[in-house]
Amino acid sequence: MDRRSFIKLTAITGTSATLASCGNPENALIRFVPDDEIVPGIAVWKPSVCPLCSAGCGLTVRVMDADAEVVRNGQAGVVRIAAAKKLEGGPLHPISQGGLCARGQAAIQVTYHPDRITQPLKRSGTRGDGQYEAITWDAAIAELLSRLDALAAAGNQKALAFATRAGSSHRHALVDQFLARFGAPGPVSFELFGDQVLRRANALSFGREQLPTFDLPNARMAISFGADFLGTWNSPVAQAAGYGQMRKGRPGIRGAFVQVEARMSQTGANADEWVPATPGTEGVLALGLAHAILAANLRPAAAAGRAGTQIDGWAAGLADYAPAAVEKVTGVAASRIERIARDLAERSPAVAMVGGAPLAHTNGLFTALAVNALNALLGSVEQPGGLFFTPRITLADGAAAPAAPSIEQLASGILGGSNAVQVLLVDGSNPVFTTPTAWKVSEALAKIPFIASFGSFLDETSGMADLILPDHSFLESWIEAVPESGSIAAVASVAPPVMRPLHQTRAMPDVLLDVSRRLATPVALPWETFDQMVGATFMKLAPAAAGGDAWGDAQAQGAWSGALPAGLASPPSVTEETPQPVPEPRFDGDAAQYPFHFLPYPSSAFLDGSLAHLPWLQEMPDPITSAMWSSWVEINNTTAERLGIAQGDIIEITSTQGTLRAPAYVSPGLAPDIVAMPVGQGHRMFTRYATGRGQNPVSLIAPLTEASTGAVAWAATRVKIARVGGPDGSLIMFAGGDREHPYEDLGRG
Amino acid sequence: MPHRWGMAADLDRCNGCGACVVACAAENNISTVGAEQAALGRAKHWIRVERYWEGEFPDVRLKFRPVMCQQCDNAPCEPVCPTYASHHTDDGLNAQVYNRCIGTRYCANACPYNVRFFDFFNPSWEKPLQLQLNPDVSLREVGVMEKCTFCVQRIKAVTVQVAAEDRELKDGEITPACVQSCAAKALVFGDLNDPESEVSRLSHSPRGSKLLEDLGTLPKVTYLPRDTEA
Amino acid sequence: MSTSSPALPASEQVRSDLLRPLLQTSWKFYVLVAFLGAIVVAALAAWVTQMTLGFGISGIRWPVYWGFYVTNFVFWIGISHAGTLISAILRLVNAGWRRPVTRCAEVITAFALIIGAMFPLIHLGRPWLAFWLFPYPSERMIWPNFRSPLVWDFFAINTYLTGSLLFLFLPMLPDFAIVRDRATGMRRRIYGVLALGWRGTPTQWHRLETAMQIMAVAIIPVAVSVHTIVSFDFSMAPVPMWQTTIFGPYFVAGAIFSGIAGLIIAMAILRRVLHLERYLHPVHFQNLGKLMLVMALLWGYFVFNERLVTYYGNGASEMQVFWRTQRLTFAPLYWTMVVCNFVLPLVIMGISRFRTITGCVIASIGVVIGMWLERFLIIVPSLGHKYLPYSFGTYSPQPVEIVITVGTFAAMTLLYVLFAKFVPIISIWELTAVQHPSPALIPPATAEHPLGETHA
Ligand SMILES: Nc1nc2c(c(=O)[nH]1)N[C@H]1C(S)=C(S)[C@@H](COP(=O)(O)OP(=O)(O)OC[C@H]3O[C@@H](n4cnc5c(=O)[nH]c(N)nc54)[C@H](O)[C@@H]3O)O[C@H]1N2
Ligand SMILES: Nc1nc2c(c(=O)[nH]1)N[C@H]1C(S)=C(S)[C@@H](COP(=O)(O)OP(=O)(O)OC[C@H]3O[C@@H](n4cnc5c(=O)[nH]c(N)nc54)[C@H](O)[C@@H]3O)O[C@H]1N2
Ligand code: SF4
Ligand code: SF4
Ligand code: SF4
Ligand code: SF4
Ligand code: SF4
Repeated sequence: MDRRSFIKLTAITGTSATLASCGNPENALIRFVPDDEIVPGIAVWKPSVCPLCSAGCGLTVRVMDADAEVVRNGQAGVVRIAAAKKLEGGPLHPISQGGLCARGQAAIQVTYHPDRITQPLKRSGTRGDGQYEAITWDAAIAELLSRLDALAAAGNQKALAFATRAGSSHRHALVDQFLARFGAPGPVSFELFGDQVLRRANALSFGREQLPTFDLPNARMAISFGADFLGTWNSPVAQAAGYGQMRKGRPGIRGAFVQVEARMSQTGANADEWVPATPGTEGVLALGLAHAILAANLRPAAAAGRAGTQIDGWAAGLADYAPAAVEKVTGVAASRIERIARDLAERSPAVAMVGGAPLAHTNGLFTALAVNALNALLGSVEQPGGLFFTPRITLADGAAAPAAPSIEQLASGILGGSNAVQVLLVDGSNPVFTTPTAWKVSEALAKIPFIASFGSFLDETSGMADLILPDHSFLESWIEAVPESGSIAAVASVAPPVMRPLHQTRAMPDVLLDVSRRLATPVALPWETFDQMVGATFMKLAPAAAGGDAWGDAQAQGAWSGALPAGLASPPSVTEETPQPVPEPRFDGDAAQYPFHFLPYPSSAFLDGSLAHLPWLQEMPDPITSAMWSSWVEINNTTAERLGIAQGDIIEITSTQGTLRAPAYVSPGLAPDIVAMPVGQGHRMFTRYATGRGQNPVSLIAPLTEASTGAVAWAATRVKIARVGGPDGSLIMFAGGDREHPYEDLGRG
Repeated sequence: MPHRWGMAADLDRCNGCGACVVACAAENNISTVGAEQAALGRAKHWIRVERYWEGEFPDVRLKFRPVMCQQCDNAPCEPVCPTYASHHTDDGLNAQVYNRCIGTRYCANACPYNVRFFDFFNPSWEKPLQLQLNPDVSLREVGVMEKCTFCVQRIKAVTVQVAAEDRELKDGEITPACVQSCAAKALVFGDLNDPESEVSRLSHSPRGSKLLEDLGTLPKVTYLPRDTEA
Repeated sequence: MSTSSPALPASEQVRSDLLRPLLQTSWKFYVLVAFLGAIVVAALAAWVTQMTLGFGISGIRWPVYWGFYVTNFVFWIGISHAGTLISAILRLVNAGWRRPVTRCAEVITAFALIIGAMFPLIHLGRPWLAFWLFPYPSERMIWPNFRSPLVWDFFAINTYLTGSLLFLFLPMLPDFAIVRDRATGMRRRIYGVLALGWRGTPTQWHRLETAMQIMAVAIIPVAVSVHTIVSFDFSMAPVPMWQTTIFGPYFVAGAIFSGIAGLIIAMAILRRVLHLERYLHPVHFQNLGKLMLVMALLWGYFVFNERLVTYYGNGASEMQVFWRTQRLTFAPLYWTMVVCNFVLPLVIMGISRFRTITGCVIASIGVVIGMWLERFLIIVPSLGHKYLPYSFGTYSPQPVEIVITVGTFAAMTLLYVLFAKFVPIISIWELTAVQHPSPALIPPATAEHPLGETHA
């Protein structure tokens, strides 16, 4: 801002503050009083928690003074605020250990995003066109109350649905408690790249329905089946820290690393040995390795314990999985299988990981159980250098809400008339963007009479809302997470607000508590405010030092970690279910007509697309392709040559579900019969940075699901491709050459 | 003895995640240029994670290498600069004085590593994104060359503090933003004049090598390759 | 080199022929000036737009940070070698046929240098701070960096420009005096001032000759050094195929080469437009054509040498650039350059039958194009392929650069047209010197004053 407008705005501020103070003194004045703890030009560091994925990394935030243009009570002014300036990994946080991923670095742009919703909005146009008018918080909350009261009055509380993203936190617990006590089904959470299958498998194999934590610093060998554990999967920051230690943290010991996947991911690029197996056969390969270990008498079958019993033929030494047979199925040479198996057994402790595409087939559970059994056979469960389960903290007493239908069931219920949802609340979830077209989620939402969103941005789902009650950003409110994995000891992250709210937003948990109190028939929740709820948990935790205060320490450090007091630990999940997992994957689309496996994958920058609105991430070169601001389709170079496709050519991909066009990235890093495409772009509506940019590959995904969990089998679609034109400039790459050795790419022009 | 700042990048730890790239942008007020300008080759990444393919499917490998200004002791970008905007400091940094730069872009041609980035337009931040700007780092204007400074503002902050407290600098006390964010601890920063520092140890490691060493630029960034024990 | 003078018209005829353009103006002159002026104004507007909107409207990008502007810079500085150098050499070797040619050539030098020297400003990110390149005592005691070749450029170009202007101006004094003596009113006063009181006394002739002698000797090393220093802009940076010791002579040879071509084209146009057939004879073109043939061979030798050594040395990054130009992206431009700079002049100038005025002009146009391409091909492929393949890049010019480039050709023509309008483009006194009215006034040619011979 230039001086002139500064002076003008300051004048306006002063005058309006004085005038406004006649009517509503506290409100008007307090907002304009500068933060007193901030000394101009001096940075203070405050803890916070990264909200961008479920890893729950701890942050430390540099806060300094800044002049912000704000609107308060309808008046514009400039105030000196304490503003967050930079996010770094919390140095004392057990998960981030001082590090942070690229997305976490960019999280600050959520708060300062130019397209953030700054006040409550009411729909003024037709649904989905993004036309809204500003309303007051009083009006917004009254509107929501009237809808909920109407449901309660009609005794139709079940017609309330709540869509959230998966995760574990007090916020989730609060929503669950609210729904339970209101009488509605539990929250519908959908995550395209969710880990439902692995959780189920872990419950079956190890009695723990959660994601594992890997003790990489102590491992001497790691094998990962498709898990992009250094990029986008599970707890990437903690895993990257562990990986660094595994490679170079111990004098004289360098942990070996093998990656099994058909398209080289950022993680796979780091492997000593990269093993492209036929998609959907990763479980067979795991059992092939187990067979080889058993056959060579390197481990007894019984060592696998319960995890082994989940696999047909385990006790008998997996007769069906001899390397030669496995080679036929997986395409991995028998000798290679035997060598890797021997390595795994000899380089103890060794650990196996599985995640991502291998579990996104119709046989995902089989694959997960197979890798679990291999892990158990290697003796790596709950052993140094192996895998652990972070002890879980019970977050709230009180019965949970009855299980909600999946988003697919919800949509088909609504469209089929069997589920008359009247009110849908949306928090942090964008199912319209991330669900297969065939599920018709968008059509179903259109039938719901009233949708309210707590979102900070208009996206495909919140753009269908009738009412928007914008949340604070994570830096402006209490933020917490109770990570499911990433630390061997129990951990809970929490931090008070780092800065004052920039806009007229309200913290969603506090709005929910407020609403629960003000309903015609109030819902009795035991907390006045959200921080009270969070504090209640922390006060039960053991302080680090005798006489300490766990709640106070946690706020100062951004996390609590330690041994859980009895009673607070969630019990292991016991499941008697013995599924009959099918080893053979099914694919959508006839192989003759659709010759390619289609592999969508979470983009390094945007995950499932929820971060496509952050300009730093749009301009960050992709680790593999160096693409920025783009969508692209990866295709093997020999295949491309055969089809006459060159870098940047536009190709059309068609599945049984639809068709899209995107530029080709020609690469040696994936199998010749695969085309891969990052998810994240192709937003119809998602701020100025993401709207209308690129293509959304989810639109091609067939509605196949993993047989026993119902999770979407997003890697089970077949497609055909055709070149439809030359480069149109839509593939924007940072890198020039691909090959380090200058002559190699000369032949390629 | 004056300090001599250096860095080491352990490519066995670096996994190509790109956190350093965004961290550098956040710390150093590097503006995004937008899709259209990025397509024209105007994106500014003071640090980039280079990746190179080797071999053909299925025996294919990909290698990552974070590349920032190598703070050459014999920096080709320095003698060519007509205004001393690119010059050497006492503690061995290749300083870039934005105020003094008139935008000949000669330094960037002379830099063999292509780590210098030009401001083709006045950098802008769509409000209120400007609130994220780091007041410790000056903004650049159109026509100016910018590049990695080894986060000189962070070096200064700590050395001034250390001087005020009248004590010795502790190894690892200074962390440039990229070093700080790197979860894998692939990047190590410190004083090469302190023989005990981690960065000295790594720089003298037999595994270590310099990028384009044969050009005689005497870089102060040491790369430790992948696939090597110890 | 031939010293035989072609037959020239009588001195009164010379005067009226050569002063005609100054005294008569046809409407075509105004149309031409307006046309060229419009292009120059468009180029200036483009530059202002670039300064206002940002350098980004050009095609420059990471990592090709120099493009059309620096190409034009080197090209025009090269063209500037047409005049002063050639005429100095011809003066020194006393080539009699040079007399109608020298001024045409020297004017090219002056204007090409002025235009060339604009480019370091045009290509600056912040041209409003260009004065920081000048050595002036600032109160902060910050001097320019004398190690930077760009600062050497500043000195070299300024020296050459000053020298060339003097070299052009000195022999114009007698002609200004002639115009002064024939003109009336305002014009008389102006030319009177320009003539610096020239009366044609023996002392004045003597001093003029001495001055010209000194200038001719001094300007040659300056001219050679200018393009050597321009070549240092490249060869001082560790860029593949830039760092080569051959660049100094290679650039100087190229400069003289393109300079001769420029001169031939200018002479042919003047001859046609100003009806100077009686003064600019085929022999002038033939002689310059022979000189161009020599330069083409020299140029070919340098290029062959540069390429062979690179190929033999087989350095990884050099070979990248080598192949880009030899048979990849830039090959079409490269081979066009070879044809224009080598094949064409060799064939046309080498075969005496083709060495006509038309032949010379065709070959010269080729050489001008070829030499512009040569500079482009030195700059862009190398910058686009420097060492680390991840940072390879490319460049394509944008409208602003094209308009400015075209504008410089228009500016050159415009300046030339205006000059020819106000100053006799062929040195009258040198032509008429043979028929000097008072031979007694001419000092005899001595060892100290060999120039005396020319108007004896
Ligand atoms: N109202 C008001 N007035 C003030 C003050 C105040 O607080 N309020 N502060 C006062 C104080 S403390 C000061 S120091 C002065 C500062 O006043 P000035 O000395 O005018 O300071 P700057 O605005 O920094 O201007 C310096 C100029 O130098 C240019 N420059 C940079 N490098 C070079 C170089 O190598 N050579 C040349 N020739 N120029 C260069 C910059 O582009 C800039 O245009 O202002 C004083 N005036
Ligand atoms: N971004 C930016 N930074 C700059 C500069 C710039 O141009 N731009 N210029 C640089 C230069 S040249 C200078 S000199 C410095 C100036 O930097 P500072 O010295 O920080 O200058 P001011 O902000 O003008 O004044 C400092 C404080 O002194 C208070 N003050 C005024 N009178 C008195 C008094 O009588 N007693 C006491 N105790 N306090 C008083 C003022 O209210 C103010 O809070 O800034 C430097 N920093
Ligand atoms: S992994 Fe990255 S995005 Fe996820 S919480 Fe940690 S820093 Fe945030
Ligand atoms: S943050 Fe570290 S691991 Fe990630 S790319 Fe940068 S240097 Fe490599
Ligand atoms: S890396 Fe480039 S910019 Fe940095 S000091 Fe060396 S030559 Fe200069
Ligand atoms: S661009 Fe700036 S820093 Fe680089 S040489 Fe030119 S003036 Fe110096
Ligand atoms: S040292 Fe600082 S400026 Fe340099 S790359 Fe790292 S973060 Fe960027």
